[in-house]
Amino acid sequence: MARGSGCAGRSARSRARARLPDDEIKEIFPWIPPRAVCHVEVASVTGAKARGLYIDCFIPPDRLGGSYIHDNIARVRAAAAYAIKAGAKIVSLGGFSSILIEGNFDQLPDRHDTVFTTGNALTVGFIVQGIRKMCALESRDICRSTLLIIGATGDVGSGCARCLAPLVKRVMLNARNAERLHILSAELAAAGADVQISTHPERFPFQADIVICAASLTSPSLLLSGIAPEAIICDAGYPKNLSPDRHIPYARIFFGGLGQITGGLSFAPDLSGVLNQHPFPDVAHGCLLEGMALALERRFEPFSQGRGFITPERVEAIETIAARHGIHLSPLHKAAVPLERTFVLSEPHVATR
Amino acid sequence: MESLVALNRSEPDVCTSPSTNASIWQDILAQALTGELMAAMNYTAISTICDEPEEVAEALEHAEGEQGHAAAFAAEGLKIGVNVPSNVNAKYWKRIREAFIRCIAERDFIACLIVQEIMLESFAVASYTRVGKAGPGSLGKTFAAIAAEEEEHIEHALEILRAERAKDPQRFDEKVYGLHLDVMTTLTEMVAKECRHGQCDLCHSSCVKPSLSEVGLTTVELRGASLQQYLKTLDMLGLPGEVTLQWVTQLPV
Repeated sequence: MARGSGCAGRSARSRARARLPDDEIKEIFPWIPPRAVCHVEVASVTGAKARGLYIDCFIPPDRLGGSYIHDNIARVRAAAAYAIKAGAKIVSLGGFSSILIEGNFDQLPDRHDTVFTTGNALTVGFIVQGIRKMCALESRDICRSTLLIIGATGDVGSGCARCLAPLVKRVMLNARNAERLHILSAELAAAGADVQISTHPERFPFQADIVICAASLTSPSLLLSGIAPEAIICDAGYPKNLSPDRHIPYARIFFGGLGQITGGLSFAPDLSGVLNQHPFPDVAHGCLLEGMALALERRFEPFSQGRGFITPERVEAIETIAARHGIHLSPLHKAAVPLERTFVLSEPHVATR
Repeated sequence: MESLVALNRSEPDVCTSPSTNASIWQDILAQALTGELMAAMNYTAISTICDEPEEVAEALEHAEGEQGHAAAFAAEGLKIGVNVPSNVNAKYWKRIREAFIRCIAERDFIACLIVQEIMLESFAVASYTRVGKAGPGSLGKTFAAIAAEEEEHIEHALEILRAERAKDPQRFDEKVYGLHLDVMTTLTEMVAKECRHGQCDLCHSSCVKPSLSEVGLTTVELRGASLQQYLKTLDMLGLPGEVTLQWVTQLPV
């Protein structure tokens, strides 16, 4: 599993010495070559287990921008080479790594017996499940909702559009690339959806009741406007999309695309405090969980290959595999704040483990 | 190996560095010159514990090459009008030398290679490469050329060390870790932001570190590049990345 960035170095050091100040971490971080930071073991409810490595590209958060793209692609390639050398049978690319490669798997090194998946199909599955769950919790009728997708033409955004367009009243698609917007719009309209498109999210003629933020942003800088005051907002970006400066008091905001492993997830050395910063145990991004589910299933195939080919059928297929091994939608939360306690006190797995 | 010996010319080229920065380059060259002299001493010492005549010859050839590098750095000093001092008994270098001598005393050829080729050469290659980019004219070219030659050392040593590790990886990795604690702690102290325990005994007046930015260098960059090279070298040896990451994150900053 390779992720775009992380702070494992911080954790490794903290166990041996006093925690380094942030400025010193920032200085060291970019120099660390991509490498494994810990071993991972994931357990299925069937009793099967899969072992792997968590490989970090060590891309600092302040170097996600376009000016670093060549360096960052080189880092993803190096991380991929590390996985291949380690003998991995399947590699989940992780959020930012996927964005960088975006379907151009030929940019990865010679793979031998190693296959790569972006993991985005399961991410889409968990985003859609999260939207449906939040609608149910909030007693919203999804069929009467207007859905806005920010970053709609990306792999995750377009997958969400295909899955949710048949369920909602209207879909509003926003992205930077107008041509891709037209293509996706035509596809959805041909299937009977009411579709609006715009490269400027504030210019849609309708207020959105449901918003999915899945844009490739280098920092949480999205300032949403023109949405319903009590809109349901799923921030599924990696890095997160929504600006912390945008206060939407009545909106229901949650972090989407996350799943939880019922059978348990362990790290050696134990970096769970760093790698899982969610308020529930054994939670991970859907993209990483897709690789784990496929490994538990012994299906070593490039299930998600990017370029916007995620269909409801593919999503259902990976959800079925994941569920078979006890990998389900994570309890809803926003950052460190659980959201479900407020709504579903009787649900047994929420914040009780 | 011998190509850079030719750089030890009696007639220096034209001065290529502004005199205002000459004192900074003097201190940088002093560290490099001392490091090369120590490397020459280390290879000479290695020749005393080699069993095969070819190994003895090779170690002595390396020693000669390092002396050539030292001479090249001294010559670069003269070109900018400074005498480059050396002091293998300077605080940090002495500590590293002592660690190396312990390996010689134990006739541990593999440990000697790990210290010289993996640790010291990693730092030399990375820092010389950086200085090579920042250094003016022939001074920069000399650093870059020596960095390239030192890299060849690492390649050669890696073959021997990989074969040794294949025999007993756990034992080999434990040996590297022991040496890492001994040597790398000192090396990273050398390139830490400031010398917390007093002067290094090589800078000609005050510590050069705060002035490095005047010649386009920083300790952050030198330390980062050196540790990166070290980690990459350990990767090439086959040591687990998650383990070596922990080693490096425990080093002084």
